[in-house]
Amino acid sequence: MTAIVHGILTMLKDHWFWGAVTLVCLTWYSTVTIYVAIRGIADIRSMLRRLSDDKP
Amino acid sequence: MTSLTVLDGGIIGIYLLITMIAGVAIRRYVRRVEDFIVAGREMNVYLGIASLAATEFGIVTCMYAAQNGFDKGFAGAVPGLLTFGAMFLVGVTGFCIKPLRDSGVMTIPELFEKKYGPRVRWAAGVVIVLGGLLNMGVFLRMGGDFLVNVAHLDPDYLEAMMTALLVGVAVYTILGGMLSVLVTDFLQFVVMSAGLIITTFLILGKVGWGPLVRAVETHHGAGGFNPFANPTMGWPYVIFNALLNTAATLTWQTQIARVLAAKDSATGRKVYTRTSFFFVARWLIPGIWGIAALALLTPEQVPQNSLLAMPRMLGMILPAGLMGLLIAAMLAADMSTDASYMLTWSSVIYNDILAPFRRTKWSEKKGLFWNRTIVALIGVFLLIYGLWYKIEGDAWTYLGITGTIYLASMSTLLVACCYWKRANNWGATAAIVFGAILPVTVLVLQKLGPWTAWVKDNEASCMIGVYAVTAISMVVGSLLKPQSQGCSEGGKS
Repeated sequence: MTAIVHGILTMLKDHWFWGAVTLVCLTWYSTVTIYVAIRGIADIRSMLRRLSDDKP
Repeated sequence: MTSLTVLDGGIIGIYLLITMIAGVAIRRYVRRVEDFIVAGREMNVYLGIASLAATEFGIVTCMYAAQNGFDKGFAGAVPGLLTFGAMFLVGVTGFCIKPLRDSGVMTIPELFEKKYGPRVRWAAGVVIVLGGLLNMGVFLRMGGDFLVNVAHLDPDYLEAMMTALLVGVAVYTILGGMLSVLVTDFLQFVVMSAGLIITTFLILGKVGWGPLVRAVETHHGAGGFNPFANPTMGWPYVIFNALLNTAATLTWQTQIARVLAAKDSATGRKVYTRTSFFFVARWLIPGIWGIAALALLTPEQVPQNSLLAMPRMLGMILPAGLMGLLIAAMLAADMSTDASYMLTWSSVIYNDILAPFRRTKWSEKKGLFWNRTIVALIGVFLLIYGLWYKIEGDAWTYLGITGTIYLASMSTLLVACCYWKRANNWGATAAIVFGAILPVTVLVLQKLGPWTAWVKDNEASCMIGVYAVTAISMVVGSLLKPQSQGCSEGGKS
């Protein structure tokens, strides 16, 4: 845990702009991947259900 | 150096099997042309995000973004920040994409017919298809080069390996169209994202942020962090990339296909807004891999072509298991890109280029047959042009031409179509002609004659000029047409 906090502080101290963009990017991407993986399944199910209902 | 183990092979095999089964199983939901081209317009937000992100990240993207990191440092990720800005603003405001989706068309040229008439629709279709097909012509070989370098495979197997991959992708795209593409894109997004995130954490853990920053400082100085201080970038590079990425956000066929497949324009806008930050990741993550190659490879290990530095570095540091995940992730990235490119460009050929042959309405069965045939023919083209035919010269320049030929004119036509009453077919024709001729002229001058050095040094400024002249052509052409003739062809102009 200490190593992670130290790593984050180093990223923000050493060229803070690109350190901050990289941190936000990795945090955002990890979170969105999990969220989209869960919500995307529901989207596929409802899409296929609507297409089935639509057919003659 | 890590070679593929049984564990790696197992991970790759399971991923490919699941993708193929899912892609082929979806075919039973395809009954109409609208299902095939725009998924029956039933795509919701999260599926749209997964599909857009998976499509817009291929091995080619990874290679070039990493090369930018290697050659330009962190500043090389600036195109990602610009794309994020463009896509976020377009998503929030609905600029062009709202009227486009609300119009109910299946392709951009179909919208153009309402404003500029059938000839412009046809010409726009031809430009889009030419630009797009030539652009995607380099994908397969680049993908093969990455896999060969990262997994230390025998280069002799490159053609056979990528042919097998393309055939697999073509099978589910031909059978299931956009529905199969969306479902497989979802699987590919999950696998691709897991591979990208885990590999990046591994690199940050093994190399460390400090050494990455130090490597950029040593090799690129302040220009490695600030594009305006970088001698190979500067204001023209940033402005050109802002124009290029905004135009791509508005008209690039694979991106706009997600808006057109969305349930409604509000869903399409949400997909754009919520996917926009992915474009930062799309450039920064491979960029960090490229910087890691800069930090880790000795001068003797750096290949002559800096494009191959990143895969070579990955081949050195990835452990067994993770190598399998990375290759599965990159295959996922490439498959989703290939499938979507084949489908979305075939939809323009069917919907717009073949429009004059469909004066009498075709049956759904006949329409589906032709759509599937066109996807198959594009697959054959990709195989011959992209794999068995070796492109000579600089691939970046090649992508630059093919992209700008299409993007400058189509974005101008779309903006004018949506927001300028006086825009008409004279202006549209002038924009298409100048938008196609000028980038080709710049590239010819770059290769020949006394202008070579000047054009090479001012490439970004020349491309800004292409966008400016294309827009001016639209304005001048439209104003030159007598207003009494305005309604003769386009109907609404």
